[in-house]
Amino acid sequence: MTHDIGCMRAIEAFYAYLDGELDDPESIADFEHHLGHCRSCFSRIEMEKALNERMRKNARRESSEALRERVGKIMDKF
Amino acid sequence: MTDERTKAFFGTGVEVNIDALYSVALRLTRREADAEDLVAESVAKAWSAIGTLDDRERFRPWLFRILHNTFISDYRKHAVRPDEASYSDGDCEDDELATLLNEQSDDFLVWWANPEREFFNNLLGESLLAALDKLPEAYRTVVVLVNVEGFTYDETAEVLGVAPGTVRSRMKRGRTLLQKALWQQRPDSTKGANNDS
Repeated sequence: MTHDIGCMRAIEAFYAYLDGELDDPESIADFEHHLGHCRSCFSRIEMEKALNERMRKNARRESSEALRERVGKIMDKF
Repeated sequence: MTDERTKAFFGTGVEVNIDALYSVALRLTRREADAEDLVAESVAKAWSAIGTLDDRERFRPWLFRILHNTFISDYRKHAVRPDEASYSDGDCEDDELATLLNEQSDDFLVWWANPEREFFNNLLGESLLAALDKLPEAYRTVVVLVNVEGFTYDETAEVLGVAPGTVRSRMKRGRTLLQKALWQQRPDSTKGANNDS
């Protein structure tokens, strides 16, 4: 049975929840129950998700052709 | 052990991870040429150490651990350090952290929800990387591994050689510092009536 954990406990679990690190079904249910009843925490989670997405989009880089060739040459010598 | 099948396994593993290796190396060194050198050196070291890989399922964290260790031993002292001191790296108890996150996020949320957000979306991309690069290394590395490259807390702990609980606390503090940095460097036109604390 779920119960409201309050904002302070929800904030403690924020990143663990977002990062898929809350593995106890009861903890997940309690957290999501709180999100369903707290506009502030719900908005924060949405903001954090958007921030994560933006960070992934900006910080992921493709390696250059020169680097791939260089690494390929290193591996050719193995 | 270093037979053709091992070479093929290693080659595929490097190929699959080379963009991620470069992305992490770039956030560690903050200089493209150094990031490429770091990746190349790490791949060579990894092959030399292939005999230490006990479980092939753990190839990815094992490979990134070599990258991280190589950064520490050969690159850290030369790494670009943009104004890290402006973000306190001191001890922070969990309850203090929760309070900081709670108070700061309210202001951040108002800013994030600003109807003019689209206007500075492009700038935010640059601001985000600048803020990320200014995080103290311990937090920056955890945020990049977890949020950008999708490592679990256990894998990140394996890469860094720390306890999973340390990863969890560094994530909370790193993300809080990142928001604080974004909040502090937001465009002047959006500061309005909000307090800049």
